[in-house]
Amino acid sequence: MKIALCSTFVPFIRGGGRNIVDWLASTLTEAGHQVEVVYLPELDVPDLLFQQMMALRWVDLQAADRVICFRPQAHLIPHPHKILWFIHHIRVFYDLWDTPYRDFADNAKHCAIREALFDADTRALSEAKAIFTNSKVVSARLKTYNDVDSEVLYPPVFESERFFCAGYNDEIAYICRLEHHKRQHLLIEALSFTTTPVRIRLLGTGSGPDYGIALRQKINDCNVADRVILDDRWITEEEKVECLSTCLAAAYLPVDEDSYGYPSLEASHAEKPILTTTDSGGVLELVQDGYNGYIAEPTPESLAIAMDKLYRERSTTEAMGKNAKQRLVDLKISWSHVLERLLA
Amino acid sequence: MKVLIVNNMAPFIWGGAEELAVNLQKNLIIAGHDAEVMRIPFQWEPASTIPSQMLLTRTLEIFNTDHVIALKFPAYLVRHHRKSLWLLHQYRQAYDLYDVGQTNLPADQTGADIRKAIINADNESFAESRHIYTNSEVTRKRLLKHNGFDSQVLLPPVNDPESFIGGQFDDYIFAGGRVNGMKRQYMLLEALAKADKRVKLIIAGPPESPADTQQLNVIIEKFSLQDRVKLDLRFLPRATYVDYVNRALAVAYIPFDEDSLGYVAMEAATARKALITTTDSGGILGLVTPGETGWRAEPTAESLAEAMNAAFESKTRTKQYGEGAQALWNGLGINWPETIEALLK
Repeated sequence: MKIALCSTFVPFIRGGGRNIVDWLASTLTEAGHQVEVVYLPELDVPDLLFQQMMALRWVDLQAADRVICFRPQAHLIPHPHKILWFIHHIRVFYDLWDTPYRDFADNAKHCAIREALFDADTRALSEAKAIFTNSKVVSARLKTYNDVDSEVLYPPVFESERFFCAGYNDEIAYICRLEHHKRQHLLIEALSFTTTPVRIRLLGTGSGPDYGIALRQKINDCNVADRVILDDRWITEEEKVECLSTCLAAAYLPVDEDSYGYPSLEASHAEKPILTTTDSGGVLELVQDGYNGYIAEPTPESLAIAMDKLYRERSTTEAMGKNAKQRLVDLKISWSHVLERLLA
Repeated sequence: MKVLIVNNMAPFIWGGAEELAVNLQKNLIIAGHDAEVMRIPFQWEPASTIPSQMLLTRTLEIFNTDHVIALKFPAYLVRHHRKSLWLLHQYRQAYDLYDVGQTNLPADQTGADIRKAIINADNESFAESRHIYTNSEVTRKRLLKHNGFDSQVLLPPVNDPESFIGGQFDDYIFAGGRVNGMKRQYMLLEALAKADKRVKLIIAGPPESPADTQQLNVIIEKFSLQDRVKLDLRFLPRATYVDYVNRALAVAYIPFDEDSLGYVAMEAATARKALITTTDSGGILGLVTPGETGWRAEPTAESLAEAMNAAFESKTRTKQYGEGAQALWNGLGINWPETIEALLK
């Protein structure tokens, strides 16, 4: 089948939004399909919104048997067989309207733009043959704002068979970009409240140096330098696999994310329980407290209790690791399921 | 520098321009830049959808980018404060092909309007470009004639020069590239029939039509050339093609009146191979100096047979011509570092 994968991008910014597209492209090609990946730029500025939407409306992909659209506003691309794997709205006009993320006024003009955007989105959504999302959170938003039903299709990680479990050492690994909203600082603070010799390893790079510097300061302030390894660089995939194979558990504590996040999936493939928090959003679709990880309150004290339990109650920790892998099967998080649904 | 290469995408078709964009990206990264390729879908059929796709390109917001290199119509219509063009071709059906009646633009007022829109948009884009480079003298002349913009010819370098190391000299003349009437592989076979028995030939590349394959097989049959020629008619894996070139005694390329030097000839010269061509082959003549880098035969079987015989007569001389071909090629300065320097100026 000839399949065009359509998404939008910011030139030179690589990240999660591109992974889902590029990995699906590889998987479809492997399965014998002809694949084109179309990335067109999209900038979320109110005054430029509609001209960019018009551009997408002019895209001609009739040569494809079907198109699959991802990041907004790619869903505006017209095609008789359009499938959406909807990963988010232009959120500042949707759920982030009443938050500090909106950096323009709540005035008549922007309200009119917002209304027109809702209308255009709803119409484009109605053109689709099928709508999938990456999480229950996003499906709920589609229902709330656009009154559209959708099916959750969890995005798998690429070549998950790379991950394996080689045992359980004393370290909780947090492998993720170093960003304030990922809250590596909270894990460091928690460590100072632990009563066991549990350790943490923070791996990843940030968009700027500031947060990494702040974390080093925090490690010193909390007086936990002997139990923390902070490696703020872009680690290789091999290093990641190695680290996850031997760690005790994995932490993933973002503030209210839409999806469960690749770090928690990768940990699950390596049979490691996941430590997360009650306000982490989509991660809670994956993690069940006491089954495949712990869901702590987003406080250092609460996290510390969970960390000590992971360290002390080894047989429970290992059982939760096994459950973590089983949970992926139960939620059908696999490329074979993704292909089956997207090509149905 | 963050450099965005902007090219067209004819969905599900991959060709020379796509290859060039990828290699430009690769070499920009080697030169220490961050580089990405953005491909804008473009379907020119039906012609009535051309204007909306021009608008699509013109409407895109290119941000977080220091420099743009655009290659084709309508990709070069993108707006950016620092845009240079490496023009592979314009929409020829609105220009030189239009003039000779080979166009998909309707013959009525609509067609005339679309053509006018293309020309106006082109002129606006050319005027706002920082530098305009063209991929051949022919493209440069067309642009000058039709739009009044002069440009500098920047010949595309060999995509993977590091592969063409040569060094081996097996007993065959190699003829690579697409197989069709314009490339005249049939004439090489007719020449082979008249050449010494020791002369052998390998023809390899994708045939344009079954008729092209058929034509070659008929000649082989007719002159009983089976033992002296190998046909490998398909889209070759790059490594296979490279191997054919590297192990050849000499390389023959005899297209009819081509614009450019041709990758086949450029790659052969990179691999230090003597060249065999014909006096009416066009661009490649720039690489073939008789008595130094190869042979310029008349476009006849007899004359080509003489050139083939000469290549086998003295292998020492043939190797010397190969050295000469590489020296001449290197002297042209068509390499990635200089190309990138120009494109980022």
